[in-house]
Amino acid sequence: MAPDTQSDTGATERFEDVEWDELGGLGFPRRTQALVVATVAYAAAVAYDLFVTDDAVLSGTNWLFVLTLLVGAFFVAWPLAENRRLTAYYWRRFKRNRAAVVSAAYLVVVFVVGTLGPLVLTEPELNILAAYQPPVYLSVDSAVPTTCVGQTADGLCHGTWQYPLGTTSDGKGIAKLVVFGMRVSMQVGLVTMLIVVSIGTAVGTSAAYFSGLVDELLMRYVDIQQTFPTFFLFLIVTYLFKPSLFLLITIFGFLGWGGIARLVRSEALQRREESYIRAAENAGASDGWIIRRHLMPNVSNTVITAATLLIPSFILFEATFAFLGLTDPATPSWGQVIASGRGDLDGAWWIATIPGVFLFFTVLAFNFVGDALRDALDPRSEGDA
Amino acid sequence: MSMHWYVARRVAWAVVATYLILTITFGLLAVAPGDGQTAFAFEAATEGGDVDEARETFDEITGRDEPLLTRYTNYMVNMATLNWGWSFTRNQSVMDALAAAYPYSLMYAVPATFISIVFGYAIGLYSATHQYTLTDYLGTFTAFFGISVPNFWFGIMLILVFAVDLGWLPSYYQTGRGVWTLANAKQLVLPVVVLSTGAIAGNMRYSRAEALEYVHADFVKTARAKGADDWRVLVRHIFRPALVPLMTILVADILGLLFAGAYITEVVFQIPGLGLLSYKAIIQQDTALVMATTLVPVFIAIVGNLVQDIAYTVLDPRIDYGDR
Amino acid sequence: MTDPLLSIRELRVRFDTDEGVVQAVDGVSFDVERGETVCVVGESGSGKTVACESVTRLIPMPPGEIAGGEILFDGEDLTEASEKRLESIRGGRIAHVFQNPQSALNPVYPIGAQIVEAIRLHRDVSKQAARDRAIDLLDRVGIPEATARVDDYPHEFSGGMKQRVVIAMALAADPDLLVADEPTTALDVTIQAQILRLLRDLQAEFGMSIVFVTHDLGVVAEIADRVVVMYAGRVMETGSVHDVFDRPSHPYTKALLDCLPGQGQSMRPIGGTLPDLKQPPAGCRFHPRCPHATADCRTGTHPELLPVGSGHDAACVYYGPGYDSTVIRGESVSESRAADGGDAVADSDSDHDTTGGDC
Repeated sequence: MAPDTQSDTGATERFEDVEWDELGGLGFPRRTQALVVATVAYAAAVAYDLFVTDDAVLSGTNWLFVLTLLVGAFFVAWPLAENRRLTAYYWRRFKRNRAAVVSAAYLVVVFVVGTLGPLVLTEPELNILAAYQPPVYLSVDSAVPTTCVGQTADGLCHGTWQYPLGTTSDGKGIAKLVVFGMRVSMQVGLVTMLIVVSIGTAVGTSAAYFSGLVDELLMRYVDIQQTFPTFFLFLIVTYLFKPSLFLLITIFGFLGWGGIARLVRSEALQRREESYIRAAENAGASDGWIIRRHLMPNVSNTVITAATLLIPSFILFEATFAFLGLTDPATPSWGQVIASGRGDLDGAWWIATIPGVFLFFTVLAFNFVGDALRDALDPRSEGDA
Repeated sequence: MSMHWYVARRVAWAVVATYLILTITFGLLAVAPGDGQTAFAFEAATEGGDVDEARETFDEITGRDEPLLTRYTNYMVNMATLNWGWSFTRNQSVMDALAAAYPYSLMYAVPATFISIVFGYAIGLYSATHQYTLTDYLGTFTAFFGISVPNFWFGIMLILVFAVDLGWLPSYYQTGRGVWTLANAKQLVLPVVVLSTGAIAGNMRYSRAEALEYVHADFVKTARAKGADDWRVLVRHIFRPALVPLMTILVADILGLLFAGAYITEVVFQIPGLGLLSYKAIIQQDTALVMATTLVPVFIAIVGNLVQDIAYTVLDPRIDYGDR
Repeated sequence: MTDPLLSIRELRVRFDTDEGVVQAVDGVSFDVERGETVCVVGESGSGKTVACESVTRLIPMPPGEIAGGEILFDGEDLTEASEKRLESIRGGRIAHVFQNPQSALNPVYPIGAQIVEAIRLHRDVSKQAARDRAIDLLDRVGIPEATARVDDYPHEFSGGMKQRVVIAMALAADPDLLVADEPTTALDVTIQAQILRLLRDLQAEFGMSIVFVTHDLGVVAEIADRVVVMYAGRVMETGSVHDVFDRPSHPYTKALLDCLPGQGQSMRPIGGTLPDLKQPPAGCRFHPRCPHATADCRTGTHPELLPVGSGHDAACVYYGPGYDSTVIRGESVSESRAADGGDAVADSDSDHDTTGGDC
């Protein structure tokens, strides 16, 4: 249907009718070229970091995050930009849900601030003298902070713009901690989602397409994996090995794809029966071609929705483990700050409260967006508002 | 395929899964660095003992000096015979530690489970049958709150408001109060609320979505055409068929949500149940206890899945036993 | 003559949807006498199902709403009746059979239990007595070995057999009126004929009235005493089955009859589509598709039903003053075709969109 030999100029308009078929990334010479360039550049940079230089340029998690952003750009943003008409259609459907539009805007802010913020800001520093400062416009009994950075009046210490969200018990600015926490949450959510979606989609489509023994083996494996509660597995692993963000992403990524695989399989099984797959088979297309070009694009909407709804659970897991102190203490995370404020509820209520508000709204926003995406992308599932 | 054969196959499957999981944990233990050894050695050192000797003793106790296969066999036999080892931080056998802790977990988890099922399903069914009303929107919004709020933070916020500011309820759990006393009930209120909020939201969403599949089903119209009243239609013709798919979610959901949630809840409220036991064991590097307290929920998950699949066959007359 | 069993007067039903208010039924009137079979005919979306389900308020409310009119059943206005009262009428005096037998039975209960439920909702009998009656009913509707099959689940029956079970369930409390909504549409043709015969036999035995909703004129000819032709929420024509088939008096009825295969001519689809019921066309609802439409048809309100014979009415301006009704009914179906060079009713040009035609 989509000729590979289209010239660049004519391609865009003509392809408007092809819609999601282009997700496979084969029909676009320009995109394919860019993809190849990006892949090579990425591989070279990782290799340089691994083998050439001694001090790491980026941590493993950061490399994975960059990869996630590349994948997102090439397989979500680019096709959406190419298929303007379809994008406009989805947007019209999406924006009917007002809460989801606000949520999406909030998430964009969190994403941009969380990605760029840590690049320009210095890490939050320990400063005992600035401990327990209240947020700006708020005040607290001056007995609470050892010294008050802002003004003291009537026995109350007032917050200052120097620490707009106040400080922790060791004088770290909560605003900064929140920004660094955004990065952790976004990284955990997006990178884990990428791993889960990649493996889940590959396994699900393979099981559906090859059926028989392959299907049986893969799905029985998924059964075992789904039985095992990842929460407790991670507890064991984090106990036995050194805890880190990378480990958390890996564990949840490589053990969390069962649900997506089942979903993709059942969706693909329905699609498989449809005539365009039969037509492609009759035309002599190879298995790989059919999976890549016909099955995957048609289950992508289901996958995107499910994936969006998985992100908040990963973010919550990370926050929970950080709260328990079972992640790398050097990585500033919302859960960690909440834990540090737990003992100071009497005087410095804001330490535990503020990062939690951000965490709550981030998770809520992802849930709203996922819900709206389901309505926008899949007209069949109108039941669950 | 007959139902008996299906059940037998499921039981065999559960045994295989258990075996695999035990093997995997043994593998993890075998390749893990340090293990409890360091802590043991550290303890010996602080008490003025010989560190190297302590290491050897530890290896002897844990059998680390034996060949891998022997250790594997011993491990499996010990697991199977419920000889789960000795907790050196508590100076009691792991089994005793578990036995002492689980009543505390049940004390709030049972009411929370009950509440989350009853309220979750009730609100979900009401929402589904009163779609697009104000109550439905409120219910949906509550569900979003419930699934989005981090339970540890929610717990802390509740403590902040109801214990620190208002002083109505205690902020930490204290043992030594009778199980059936008012004081005990008061200190269980917040843990139950925290644990059930997420579960209510989950159950509500699922039951609403499932019930919606049936609210407009032809057979529900048939039931109404027969002259059944609303309540009868709701219970017998919407809820009962919806129960079949709900069963599949229920067990996994309760296990996942409640177990992980309970762990956090116990840490936040300092309830000395299985979660806090496990957490303290992790902090104090008590390997035997860590293993036991994390494997117990895993085994319960396996049994839960088994029970769920068997319950499914009873609830759904249409099930094809060859299908799974 | 006694009062009719069911008398629907100027019934209006609307649905409040996101896109606007849909006037699904807009001033529909017809009667059902005791023991007779009335067929309500129309395309999908004509409001026939909504009108019939409104009788016992089975339509979902909200979004549905009975906005006006009366439904007199045995002298009692059901639009005024309480929900409790309606519950005792549903299944007790007015029973329903729906289109799709595959989904009309609750999958998680044995069929016997579902019939027993219907019996015990209206008759104060023991479980055993209800079960015996259920077996009798199953036997009566032609389920072989009813005693053995009473505890089987719905998925163990074929579509035709399920429809027999649904009919047995409808007969559970000996109703006065059976509303059958396209009960044969989802079935194979041979099974259709069996079910129709079964309904006729049961009517003779139980003496109930039947309202039979269908879009299939072949079925109408088979079973109806009287016919009500509906279009876009209005009644277009009503009369005895002979009058309507032999002397169709509304252009729409004629168009429908032209659709019928096996008349010696080729089937002729009706051009155009059903109007949007959120904004129905002014004047006659059918005028955008009517070959005879005049300026009067395009303005004002929908024409009233006017008598064109004894017990035979049609809602068309051609029966009013100043019109020559022979344009519509003077010519037979075939004559009209010949006169208009085969283009009288349907616009069958190949380049025209005929998707709305329901043939």
